[in-house]
Amino acid sequence: MLKNYFKIAIAVLKRRKFFTFISLFGISFTLTILMLTTAFIDKMLSPDYPDFKRNRSLYVSKVERLNTKEGWFNGGSASYYLLDHYVSNMKIPEKIGIYTFSDPVNSFVNDKKIVLELKYTNADYWEIAEYNFIEGKPYRKGQLEASELVAVISEYTKKQYFGDVPSVAGKYIEVDNIRYRVIGVVANIPRTQRHFYGDIYLPYTLSKADYKKVEPMGNFGAVLLARSADELPAMKKEYEQLISKVPTMDEGYDKMYSNADTILEGITRNIFGSGNDSGMAKSMSFVTAVMLLFMLLPAINLININMTRIMERSSEIGVRKAFGASSKTLVYQFVVENVILTLIGGLIALLMSLLGIYIFNESDMLPGLYLEINVRVLLMGVAVCLFFGLLSGVYPAWRMSRVPVVQALKAQ
Amino acid sequence: MIRLENIEKVYRTDTVETLAVNGISLDIARGEFLSIMGPSGCGKSTLLNIIGLLDSPSKGVVNIDDKDISGFSDQQLAGFRNHTLGFIFQSYHLINDLQVLDNVELPLLYRQASAKERRELAQEALGKVGLHNRMKHFPSQLSGGQRQRVAIARAIVGKPKIILADEPTGNLDSAMGNGIMDILIHLNKNDGTTIVMVTHDEQMAHKTHRLVRLFDGSQVL
Amino acid sequence: MYKHLFRLIWNKRKQNFLFLSEILVSFLVIFALSSFLVFYFMNFRKPLGFKYQHVWAVSYSEPLKTKNLDSIRTFYDLLNATLMSMPEIEAHSLSSGNFPYANSVSTSGFTVKGKNYSYIHNYTVEDSYLQTLDLKLLEGRWYRPEDAISKNRNVVINESLRKQIFGSAPALNQVMGDSKKENEKMKIIGVVKDVKANGDYWPSGSAIYYRMDSSSYTWVGTMLIKIRPGTGAAFENKLHKVLAQHMKNSNIEIKHMDEMRSSKNADTIVPMTIFVIIAAFLIINVALGLFGVLWYNINRRKGEIGLRRAMGATANSITRQLVAESSIMATISVLTGTFFAIQFPLLHVFDINPMVYVFALLITIAFIYLLVVLCSIYPGRQAASIHPAVALHED
Repeated sequence: MLKNYFKIAIAVLKRRKFFTFISLFGISFTLTILMLTTAFIDKMLSPDYPDFKRNRSLYVSKVERLNTKEGWFNGGSASYYLLDHYVSNMKIPEKIGIYTFSDPVNSFVNDKKIVLELKYTNADYWEIAEYNFIEGKPYRKGQLEASELVAVISEYTKKQYFGDVPSVAGKYIEVDNIRYRVIGVVANIPRTQRHFYGDIYLPYTLSKADYKKVEPMGNFGAVLLARSADELPAMKKEYEQLISKVPTMDEGYDKMYSNADTILEGITRNIFGSGNDSGMAKSMSFVTAVMLLFMLLPAINLININMTRIMERSSEIGVRKAFGASSKTLVYQFVVENVILTLIGGLIALLMSLLGIYIFNESDMLPGLYLEINVRVLLMGVAVCLFFGLLSGVYPAWRMSRVPVVQALKAQ
Repeated sequence: MIRLENIEKVYRTDTVETLAVNGISLDIARGEFLSIMGPSGCGKSTLLNIIGLLDSPSKGVVNIDDKDISGFSDQQLAGFRNHTLGFIFQSYHLINDLQVLDNVELPLLYRQASAKERRELAQEALGKVGLHNRMKHFPSQLSGGQRQRVAIARAIVGKPKIILADEPTGNLDSAMGNGIMDILIHLNKNDGTTIVMVTHDEQMAHKTHRLVRLFDGSQVL
Repeated sequence: MYKHLFRLIWNKRKQNFLFLSEILVSFLVIFALSSFLVFYFMNFRKPLGFKYQHVWAVSYSEPLKTKNLDSIRTFYDLLNATLMSMPEIEAHSLSSGNFPYANSVSTSGFTVKGKNYSYIHNYTVEDSYLQTLDLKLLEGRWYRPEDAISKNRNVVINESLRKQIFGSAPALNQVMGDSKKENEKMKIIGVVKDVKANGDYWPSGSAIYYRMDSSSYTWVGTMLIKIRPGTGAAFENKLHKVLAQHMKNSNIEIKHMDEMRSSKNADTIVPMTIFVIIAAFLIINVALGLFGVLWYNINRRKGEIGLRRAMGATANSITRQLVAESSIMATISVLTGTFFAIQFPLLHVFDINPMVYVFALLITIAFIYLLVVLCSIYPGRQAASIHPAVALHED
């Protein structure tokens, strides 16, 4: 039966080549865009260099204070004080990495300016993030406590500052008039790794700002590493309870919010979140709505073409009905045909996505970010394909199956 | 085999009502070869469609193979057509996208039959109409007479008790038409298939057991 | 004739539903797209209102660990003197973080004569800001040192805010704000030309400039410096060194305003380009679909067309009729689409000049008709060119 459907589907596709072209063009273009987007989002969300422990990590990036009576509100990153004095007492986390979100600074080589993203971290940070050290190693707790002027730099920085030299460990890099000894070089990090991106990493004890200030908000973030992924909910809870006990440190505010989030929650909280609501539901409905809206036009177009195509086959419909096909069987046949068409479109989309990803990766549009098609992206593509095929196939098939046999046989 | 009682068929448009079939009763015995004749628009095709369950009468009872089909669902009708009836049309209605063999197999797709079984039955049917050497052709590569023979093979492949033919020779020259007629007569004689044929052609009609003439929706002979 | 065709199509609206909805959705997509493009274009044509060339923006963080105003003042006096002594520097001014092309926004609201005005950009700047960015003064004057001790708080506003509050009535010396205290009331001493601070494609918005007093020294973290044209690259290194020596506790970054402008413009252009490319593909998709469906439908009517030809219709008149039919179909969608589109200006969904929507609507309507005519003209001609006898025979 399926073989028969397949035969006829291919024959129909071959007959009206122009319509086939239009259908495939629409399907493959739409799917390509969706697959590229999925590949990008997947890259952003799944564990990736250097953040391979993402499945058992939670991130703290936002603290908000609220005056519930007046509606005043004040938000920002966490302070070192909050993380060191309160968060570091948490029981569940195996390790806590503390770091600043990178800030651009200038460095000069032969009067040429280099813009470097500067990041301060603690020592545990290096044990959580699995940086690929091309040479040297990170700074240790002892060096940190002694405020040694040491730096870990990225490959990019090495190339910009020192040029093409084999080794730079032990050499000095000058930033803001201070000379730091390079003790390690790590492979480049894409900018999308918000918690881990940097061109130069320094011990937080070297921070020029007064990081010990007693206030909840500052320039710091933290990654809390649990022993296993199962502990994440408990760790989340522990953090929530901890924050509820932290004073706001300012009479102007009576309530404080902060959450330990997964990467995805961190993103949705930034866009749609408020208070303790991570904005996940809103984000998901928003993304779904945008996707459906984007698919609406190609879908209507496809339905339109399918209608035309199916009406052209009224004789076939009449014959099949006369020889014992029920309406249900016919709907099934045409939907299967349409799914075959969309799957062919999906195959083309896959090739186009591979090409698109190749171009994206080669162009270095976002340095250090290399997209790939993996099983998840592929499954997403297949799912959208089927959805599209059903969506655009069911209505025309249903309309067609209801045409009376006599009429179907007459119209030619 | 087929019993029609007081069949009426009214076509309604917004303003006019057309009475296509007006109170026809007809009894067709098992193994009979009946032809229906009449000028165009007399309702003969409508009558055939009603017998073939492709159209339902506005009034009257249709009884086929001792079953009253008036309460049948779409599913039941489809199954009944598949097992009991075979159709032959004036304009063949072959599926141009499928090869001859696939066209003939079509009715078997809608019942339980393995691919091998279908193939064998289709080959056998094509043998009966003398087209075993054209199985891999597409309909467009065949002459009109050959196409109609494929259509006959398709009609008989499911071994139906009744074959309904709507002007099967209407598009063919007399030599080809006679060929088709011979096949139908042979089917009727050897396999005992009941055949109801609508035709324009006196000569063809006289080759059948019984002739029914219609005029303006009523039986005149 | 047209009325007749219109009725025909209206009666067949069920069959044409898909065709109509496809045009409707395309209409909305193009309307959204052209609204953006018109909006950007109208802003692009407005003058910049300042000069970004040879301006550097220096960001630094908390240079002093003290809150003692006197020592902070001393620090800035010293810094000021150092910068003044450099011949390469034409002018410099401290500024709040929302200087042009910075990714920082600061807005506030206030009441004037009982009416509330919100989302007013507030820029806190020094007296030398006008010279550093070469703002254009339209009315009154810019700040002078004596504004520090005036009775009211003297402020300068921009053209847009002036228009928003006063219309064509005089604005100079008007007092704004509902504070009871005299020194918190704001007296307008000048009006400057709008500054497109968010890039070439965005409006300046209403803005108010506050004069920076020494209390702002505790939080300010940006300095704008205008360099004399022709200054070599080495000066940047030198300036950085000097600043770093002065601010030992700071991380310092020097940005060039022309580069900031490019990246700010790219923030608009890049997503817009992606949007245009996607929309173009969608439209090509729709155009092909329309073309195919129209072609098929027209071909099915060969008999009718042959009959008309046999009765003396010229090929041209046939083409015209077929094109007119699809145009009338499009009209139904266009009318529906326009109904939705005009809700935006009517309901003030976005605070945008209504002319944007008017132009966008006109462009959209023209585009849709062009699309439909182009998609039906070829199939129409194809059908009309068939010989009547052939067309009649096929039926």
